[in-house]
Amino acid sequence: MLELDHVSRKFKNTYVLNNLTFSVSDGEIVSILGPSGCGKTTLLNIILGILSPTEGRILCDGQDITKVPMRQRGFNIVFQDYALFPNLSAYKNIIYGLRNRPEASSKTEVGDLIDLLDLRPHLEKRISELSGGQKQRVAIARTLVLKPRLLLLDEPLSALDGMIKESIKTRIRTIARRFKLTTIIVTHDPEEALSLSDRIMILHDTRIAQFAPPSEIISDPADAFVSRFICDQLRIKRENIRRIFEKSGNAA
Amino acid sequence: MKLNKTVLAALAAAMVAHSVSALAADKLVIYSNADEEAQEAMKHALDNNGFAGHYVIQAMGTSELGGKLMAEKKNIEADLITLSTYYLDSAQQKDHTFADLTFDHKAADGSEVSFYAPILGNTGALFVNTRVLKDSGLKAPERIADLADDVYAGKISVPDITGSSTSWLMTQALISEYGEEKGTAITRKIEENAGDHLEMSGSGPLKKIRAGEVAVGFGLRHQAVADKKKGLPVDVIDPKEGNFTLTEAVAVVDKGEKTNPDAMKAAEVIVKKARPELLKFYPFAIYPGEKVDQELVPAYPRAFKEKLTVELLKKHQEMVKDE
Amino acid sequence: MKQEQTVQGERFQKALLIAVIAVFTAALLSPLVRVLAQSFDGGLYAAFNNYSSVLLKKRMARVVWHSFAVSGSVATISTSVAFMFAYALWLTSIPKALKTVYRTCIMAAFLFPSITYGFAVIYSFGKQGLITRLLGFELPFSIYGFSGLVIAGTVYTLPYAFMLLSNAFSYISPNTRTVCAMLGDGPFRTFLMSALRPCASALVSSFLLTFFLNFTDFGIPSSVAGRYEVMATALYSTMMGALPDFGRGAAVAMAMLLPAILALIILRRGAMLQQSGDASSVQPMGTGKIYTILSVVYLSAVTLCLVSVFAVIFVLPFVENWPYKPVFTLSHIISAITDPQLASAYRNSLYVSALTVVFGLALCLGAALLSARPALGARASGLMDFLAMLTNTVPGMVLGVGFMFCFSGTALYGTFAIIVMSNIVHFFTTPYLMCKDALSRLNRGYEVTGALMGDSYIRTLTRIILPNIVPTICSAGAYLFINAMVTVSAVVFLCGAQTQVVTTRIRELQYFERYDAVFALSLLIFITNLIVKALSEVLPQAISRAGALRIRLFSNILERKIPNEA
Repeated sequence: MLELDHVSRKFKNTYVLNNLTFSVSDGEIVSILGPSGCGKTTLLNIILGILSPTEGRILCDGQDITKVPMRQRGFNIVFQDYALFPNLSAYKNIIYGLRNRPEASSKTEVGDLIDLLDLRPHLEKRISELSGGQKQRVAIARTLVLKPRLLLLDEPLSALDGMIKESIKTRIRTIARRFKLTTIIVTHDPEEALSLSDRIMILHDTRIAQFAPPSEIISDPADAFVSRFICDQLRIKRENIRRIFEKSGNAA
Repeated sequence: MKLNKTVLAALAAAMVAHSVSALAADKLVIYSNADEEAQEAMKHALDNNGFAGHYVIQAMGTSELGGKLMAEKKNIEADLITLSTYYLDSAQQKDHTFADLTFDHKAADGSEVSFYAPILGNTGALFVNTRVLKDSGLKAPERIADLADDVYAGKISVPDITGSSTSWLMTQALISEYGEEKGTAITRKIEENAGDHLEMSGSGPLKKIRAGEVAVGFGLRHQAVADKKKGLPVDVIDPKEGNFTLTEAVAVVDKGEKTNPDAMKAAEVIVKKARPELLKFYPFAIYPGEKVDQELVPAYPRAFKEKLTVELLKKHQEMVKDE
Repeated sequence: MKQEQTVQGERFQKALLIAVIAVFTAALLSPLVRVLAQSFDGGLYAAFNNYSSVLLKKRMARVVWHSFAVSGSVATISTSVAFMFAYALWLTSIPKALKTVYRTCIMAAFLFPSITYGFAVIYSFGKQGLITRLLGFELPFSIYGFSGLVIAGTVYTLPYAFMLLSNAFSYISPNTRTVCAMLGDGPFRTFLMSALRPCASALVSSFLLTFFLNFTDFGIPSSVAGRYEVMATALYSTMMGALPDFGRGAAVAMAMLLPAILALIILRRGAMLQQSGDASSVQPMGTGKIYTILSVVYLSAVTLCLVSVFAVIFVLPFVENWPYKPVFTLSHIISAITDPQLASAYRNSLYVSALTVVFGLALCLGAALLSARPALGARASGLMDFLAMLTNTVPGMVLGVGFMFCFSGTALYGTFAIIVMSNIVHFFTTPYLMCKDALSRLNRGYEVTGALMGDSYIRTLTRIILPNIVPTICSAGAYLFINAMVTVSAVVFLCGAQTQVVTTRIRELQYFERYDAVFALSLLIFITNLIVKALSEVLPQAISRAGALRIRLFSNILERKIPNEA
């Protein structure tokens, strides 16, 4: 569905992204994972159309969209800070795009979306009255109303905590499956990426280190960086958790 | 820590005490509406006669000081005041604000007012910026009344009678020459011609002349003469209607027992020792034996027929402003 | 033990409350009441005369209209210029250093007295002005009266508007622009939704604040109004003019107070609508080249205009006689420092400002303590907020007139104490709010913890609470100092011959046409304020560094000791 063909981006003569080639298929959930400064945000901006690549092409459904401006690509994004309009109510935020493209969703579709995201009780609230999780759901609903071909999520979970994180994860998966929505998630947290996506692209030092399903990354890390960055972190976490449970088991 | 606190507390207390008592409570306070040159002359006289460091002079606009005097009466901060005589006269008449002077201050013409001694006379005159005049192709005026001509619109600057007593010199001249009705009408037309250059301060017009903002102005003669001497493109024109003069005098505020004992001495110093220097800037002889360089004497000296008082000023103000 | 500390705290705060109330009764309420009373002095008939002369006489009606026209224009221009300035800074991704330059230029106006701007405008844009000469042609309108007032007023109020608006922008995520594009908005609607609408309440606040500042300012009209009389000059000439009329003056003061109260009531409403929450941490992504170029052009143009007004302040003191003898000289600066009259004014200003800092901080901290860490309940806290709102509403000139009515003829009149008193009340609100904010952010448990460790209440206060808000104390102090240095509105009624400050001396120098000295003194004020501002930023760091050093030394000693003991 989305294809990047030898895409590079330079800032002042240094490569921020170096010769990336990959494709994402329809309805797939893909995570772009990497430490800060690896080029995640640049890649996101290139897909979105805020930045254009220095070299290479971007294709969507076989069509070259490298030169297509941001607003005509039909993609959408939920930012980490949601960027909701503080002067509008939750509901007005959700249906905001319809004033520009009234044909995008019917009333029932919007209603379904609101129910799917459990936003019915919060529709008339001001943005400042919403919790973090509620804000995020409003932001997601706002993008889905326009039925994007591709949804980008920028660090969707980093501002949320605990159980809300899990429930959002479930929702993201449900939505992607229900609408057959190609979803690209940018994150720095391996656990998030592994538990959420169909495939993970690990960026390291301006290049793709590995692009594979979670199981393959765990079982067969492509290089030392991947194994260190992903597996070590997870192993430590696993150890910690096991120790805690053993202790509490002993105490009981 | 403890020491710190004690020191801090002491410091705070000292500051409070200090700020309440003011910096130098014993200094002689002089309020003056005089110009800088006159104040300098007074300062020199005081400094050379044992008052150095024992006084402060506060400069104020004439009406500002006059108003303050009327409002605060004997409660005024000043011990000594130099101000236009019409204000001093009115204040004395209303509130007996001033003590009689204890030194001889009889003028050359034999006149003497018990509670003040004149220190200088301010004479009015027209002046022009020769450069601007030439550039704008205007003829230099001979009379004040000429300024009422439309060709001068926007090219002249005069003081406003509600803001400055210098303006009164102009109104006095016009009223003396053309009578009350016509005189005030001309004044009004001149103010209209001045437009944005109608100044609240007496020195405003010369400032505009200096800055090249206008071609012709009315103000104090000596200031324009000084500018001319400095080499600025300024020339003085004595108007045919006459050069009128306002006298400024020094008076001692009568604060009863609290009257500053130095005040009378300082007043005497100002009158007797500052006069030679004052005479240089204000070529207007007052006391016996004073001589003025003929060149500096205005061409058409005249005096208003009525006694100058605050009430008369107010009357003229109201006539001009038509209120 | 906790019991005892609570009792101590209550006792201390009770004393504090009484002190604060006493200060405000003496220095705010009674002057205001006196102004009102004075306008009614001589019975209802006199009062009717006073007020009708303000409201009905043609001249005063014109003056009121002038004030509204000038302040309205200034508020409109200042707010729109500042809005676009803040927007351009927020939007573009130009180097940080460049942004700092722009920001500094627009904020520099804070450090000059407003009276300077009037003169600066005359000597920049007048017929012989610096800029006029550089450009080679005159502005197509007279700079005296309306236009001069508007130009100078805009320069004066711009930093206030900019501060409000750039603060509002800091809460907006630059991502909003992308979102708008994604949702199909065109450029105009994107601008509306991502900038204009989120700033709406800040825009209203900025308009009202700049209106209020300009409406009540005396410095600018006293220098550049000419015959174009506004309320501030009318109030001054009624009180201090050729024929002072206190009854009418009081009525004018009341008339000045009313719009001010109105503006601030709306402002308070607006402040409540202001979105709160965390500032956006998102860096603006690069916008299109055209946007960046347009922004830089705009930012530079505004900065250039400001610099051109300021330039004269930096140039004229070093010129022998502008415009006729444009030769470099240091004599004006030297005379400003050595001339006893000028030097004493500068010394007095420093003295007054220092005292204002000391007593102002005491008052603000005391009030903030009562409201942010109340031991006496919410009522004291509410009272403090009310007082803050009230002081914020009263124009300096009205306060000055009130002080004159209250203290004229008493021993206090003509002393520094009275100037300091009017200053600490006049400038109370902002430092109070700063201190209150800082204090309420501190951990609620400090007093209890201190008590459990055996501290007395005052000891907890001086050892824990105050040291933890040192940066706030420093910036509140700097605020008080700078404002005391530049104010003219209240002090113009209160300064005696021996208590002249720089701003009132500048007014006096006006009579003598000593513009060289006016600008030299303005420059001195600017430099002094700059130093104080810098100190207020460096000082807290230095203090905390010294603290850290002490801790390190201490722990070194401990470390050396412990093995020995072990």
